[in-house]
Amino acid sequence: MDVWIAGLVFVVTYAIIATDRLDKTVAALLGGVVMVVLGVIDQEEAFAAIDFNVIFLLAGMMAMAGVLARTGFFQWLAIRSVKATRGDPFRLLLVLATITAVLSAFLDNVTTVVLIAPVTLYIATVLRVSPMPFLITEIAASNIGGTATLIGDPPNILIASAARIDFVTFIAHLGPPAVVIFLAYMVAVRIMFKGALEVHDDVRESVLALDEREVLTDTPLLRISLVILAATIVAFLVHGLFGLEPATIALLGATVLMIAGRLDSEEVLAAVEWRTLFFFIGLFMLVEGIVHVGIIAAITEGMLSATGGDPSITTLGLLWLSGLASAIVDNIPYTATAIPIVAQMGDAGLDTGPLWWALALGADLGGNATIVGASANVVVASLAARAGHPITFREYLPYGVAGTLVALPISTVYVWLRYLT
Amino acid sequence: MSDRYRIARQTPVAVCQKNLAIEPLLVEPDDDLLAVMRRAAAQPATRLVGVVDPDGRLIGMLPILRLAESVVARVVPEAFLGDISDIAGAAQFGHTVEARVVKDAMLPPATVQPTATLVDAFRLMHQRRLSGLYVVDANGRPTGYLDLLELAIVYVEAIEASERETGPDPGDEVEPPRADG
Repeated sequence: MDVWIAGLVFVVTYAIIATDRLDKTVAALLGGVVMVVLGVIDQEEAFAAIDFNVIFLLAGMMAMAGVLARTGFFQWLAIRSVKATRGDPFRLLLVLATITAVLSAFLDNVTTVVLIAPVTLYIATVLRVSPMPFLITEIAASNIGGTATLIGDPPNILIASAARIDFVTFIAHLGPPAVVIFLAYMVAVRIMFKGALEVHDDVRESVLALDEREVLTDTPLLRISLVILAATIVAFLVHGLFGLEPATIALLGATVLMIAGRLDSEEVLAAVEWRTLFFFIGLFMLVEGIVHVGIIAAITEGMLSATGGDPSITTLGLLWLSGLASAIVDNIPYTATAIPIVAQMGDAGLDTGPLWWALALGADLGGNATIVGASANVVVASLAARAGHPITFREYLPYGVAGTLVALPISTVYVWLRYLT
Repeated sequence: MSDRYRIARQTPVAVCQKNLAIEPLLVEPDDDLLAVMRRAAAQPATRLVGVVDPDGRLIGMLPILRLAESVVARVVPEAFLGDISDIAGAAQFGHTVEARVVKDAMLPPATVQPTATLVDAFRLMHQRRLSGLYVVDANGRPTGYLDLLELAIVYVEAIEASERETGPDPGDEVEPPRADG
């Protein structure tokens, strides 16, 4: 009986999240709590399923990104880079995409796109071009950049924590394909937006009038933030040597930043997206329910039976399934559900190494396909609509699918060559 | 609350209008923002521009600060960019830098009818964070303009004048009038 109850609660919760019938945080929490209330799992099991390494890593990084955001650093970097292009539209696109990708690899994707987008909108207005090609490219750049590191995208944080993968290992495995995919995507962008990036010569130099120094609101805090962020990233690089978990390092970074910057903890913690953290908490409890009653084991068995247990077919199948699923539903709940499946495939004798990388690549990059595939997409679409440049699902789709059709085949070749031959 | 304050708060805005000197400033949705700024500068006491359609019905409003920022953001975007830290601020900035005519920057109208009370007017201004309000007739055509500061002064002075004529009301010290209505 528990199997049916757990399955029903899970499916209904997923459907609510996918269709936006209810706030996704509320839906996930409700699903998780209902698993406990209906006796599928007890409270102790539900709370034990919450991965606090994920929760506190996210909280620490959100706090640091929030402090950096209020210094004007993102806008400063964007303006400084934009001026170097002297108004050449494709170079502008390339520069903004590169900044977005690099920042997204180390900081929250949503914070990055929210702070780069206003500069983009202004530049597009000055150059009298549509901001749409720029915003669409920044969405993709954010998701591709986020793929490269352990802290770049929430699915990576989930995977790294569950699989006990350290920061350096993550970059070593996903950094190279992320760079190749980014470069290939920029070639695709050049073709896709060729006609939309023509700018009159007389307005090109107008971007030079911007003064990046004027957007810095707190230079001393900026310096402190950058030093502590750099130290945190160095600590991530060596955390394996000291036996420290990424969450400890992120919390240490955020705490030191509050002390060094003499910041009010209330203000700093206000930048933490508590909704996102509780979304994760709800998902952990929800997924534990279907793990507990054996649904995940049955799915795993079914998948292995479908692929005949062949490592290559299973790994590449997981890559494309993850890409497809993440295009349709939020990649966070998808990854949270896929993780125990991969873990059980490991129990069944498969080498989980390639499977984790396939899952990360599929979940991160598949999110590019549709405007609802990842948090950065949804936020940019909402921001663009509110600024008077709506990007509809249908308008975005061809670009998103094209981008995904660049990313997933490259990922397939990469996984095949590196892990399966 | 004293009876005097209670009665004053229930005074219809139409009664107060004749004591108010600040004139409305009405523009059309396709008017250029810079031209509207010049008109507003020539009539500095009016801090809320009303936007009317060809039939004279109020369809929007434009606070002076928003009007000025719409123009200044084009020239000195850095002044705004550094303060953006969330999606609402980012979207607002994106919208502001593209505004060229009144309809690009105007807000939905906030109005009261002449029969509305002072407390209604104060409450609406407080809720919408406005320094003024348009009074409209049943067809939505402006019949007057209420400036928050001017209205508050008239209100307080009327109470004080009443006190001088009839002596202080014992209830006055218990609960003074509140500007937010």
